[in-house]
Amino acid sequence: MAAKAGAAPATYSPSPTTYKKNRPPIFTDVDWVRPDGRDFHQCRPAFLRTGAVNAASGSAYAEFGNTKVIVSIFGPRESKKAMLYSDTGRLNCNVTYTTFATPVRGQASDNKEISSQLHKSLEGAIMLDTFPKTTVDVFALVLESGGCDLPVVISCASLALADAGIMMYDLVAAVSVSCLGKNLVIDPVSEEENYQDGSLMITCLPSRNEVTQLTITGEWSSPKIHEAMELCLDACSKLGKIMRSCLKESASTSQG
Amino acid sequence: MGGSANGATDLSSEMEVDAFRRLFPLRFHERHLLESVRPDARSLGKARETSLALGAVASADGSALAKIGCTTMLAAIKMEVMTPAKETPDEGCVAIDFHMPPICSPIVRPGRPAEAAPVVSKQLSDTIISSGMIDLKELSLVSGKAAWMAYLDIYCLDADGSLFDAALLAAAAAFSHLQIPVVSLNDDGRIVVVSKEKEGEKPKNKPVNEEKRKLKLRSIPFALTCILHKNYILADPTAEEESIMETLITIVLDSSCQLVSLYKPGGPALAYESVVQDCIALSRQRVKELQKILNEAILDMEVD
Repeated sequence: MAAKAGAAPATYSPSPTTYKKNRPPIFTDVDWVRPDGRDFHQCRPAFLRTGAVNAASGSAYAEFGNTKVIVSIFGPRESKKAMLYSDTGRLNCNVTYTTFATPVRGQASDNKEISSQLHKSLEGAIMLDTFPKTTVDVFALVLESGGCDLPVVISCASLALADAGIMMYDLVAAVSVSCLGKNLVIDPVSEEENYQDGSLMITCLPSRNEVTQLTITGEWSSPKIHEAMELCLDACSKLGKIMRSCLKESASTSQG
Repeated sequence: MGGSANGATDLSSEMEVDAFRRLFPLRFHERHLLESVRPDARSLGKARETSLALGAVASADGSALAKIGCTTMLAAIKMEVMTPAKETPDEGCVAIDFHMPPICSPIVRPGRPAEAAPVVSKQLSDTIISSGMIDLKELSLVSGKAAWMAYLDIYCLDADGSLFDAALLAAAAAFSHLQIPVVSLNDDGRIVVVSKEKEGEKPKNKPVNEEKRKLKLRSIPFALTCILHKNYILADPTAEEESIMETLITIVLDSSCQLVSLYKPGGPALAYESVVQDCIALSRQRVKELQKILNEAILDMEVD
């Protein structure tokens, strides 16, 4: 909404909008350093907190480097009137981006796609038959997009579901790996995602060792896929532990 | 979680209080008002605890996170370049938008935006523009050719009443934090950011705004919303109080306590002159508190 009367004039961002066309020397250079100085197989430090939004039944905030996400859970509550009777509960997922999430204002990617992927990765972990006829709403807001948005949203959402007391078989941890030439980099930042040849994302239930979703895009060879999956599963189990300790912490503080 | 402040000690009486609160919300609140106290243990004229953090969003040019009680607002400013209008070649522009994403409240659902959002949005841009906080001339870059368009987006992350007050505080704080990027005019007539790495090299084009990195904010507006119910005035209501007692009055004063705006959108209780005077007196106190909180937040940022 323009504050001044009249048609809003067309504006542009003064920062260089297009990424450098030439790729970084990551393909040949062994000593290549990642933009944030991490090792290829090192994840960003994860910061997780439950109870971020008081108005919701459960919520969580996740910060992985510059990727910042809030997820709120509402319900179980009455399904939409138009919905048919259902023995099992329904899950309704929605992901939105803030206008300032991306370097250039209002250039967030398609959130319908992300919403449906969030739904698919969570539904296998939730005991839907514990809330028949009703709907649980999972709403996510990406405050800042710094790469790996979807995995962070998924992990954060499962933490929020636990905070809301929704019955689950296990927490859902998600990690992605980018393939850049010969190298595999885990938990890529946006810049790396822009250069990647392929990406692989696993969402799994770490204690049960079950995978709810596996997405592979781009160019991969089978040994690379194996290596990437091992990397992801290992990272997922570590992330699962962090999520678990976050829940324990919030449970002990609320009791005390 | 969310301890009740009713002095109920054992679980059974707490359950009863909770049931009473849900079944007879108005009587529950009126019973408290008789004792000059509110369910969250505040006195009637007292606002909730307020905090501010500047620079919460790294990808924005200016940002702030404001919390009043549980109500949380995240404001961020992104600067873009526009061609100024013919009538005002030396002025930039400020575009203000207020969002209530589905995460903030159970009443907002995707595709069905909250009714309050466009109302607060309009109120915010009216207040910020008319308060004269920002001199639009300061946003000019090259007269008649280029000027800044400041996109201010405010997101409500948690809605628990007094949304406008928190949003205005976040907006004012984001403008205080705003750091305008150094730009120059390139050969194609476009404005581009002077990148830090190239500072060592001889700059090809002279920066056009080296001295104008910060906006001079004059008379920052601060708001206080009150509920009028019978002969009570409740400052800074929660969402629950707003839903039960419907008459709201919002007063905006600037730093020198000049009245900027007064907004009373209907409601069953009528505002007599003495009531309005009382509300303004409450707002005066609140402006001092908020000014102090803002100053401290700015100092904290400068220390870091």
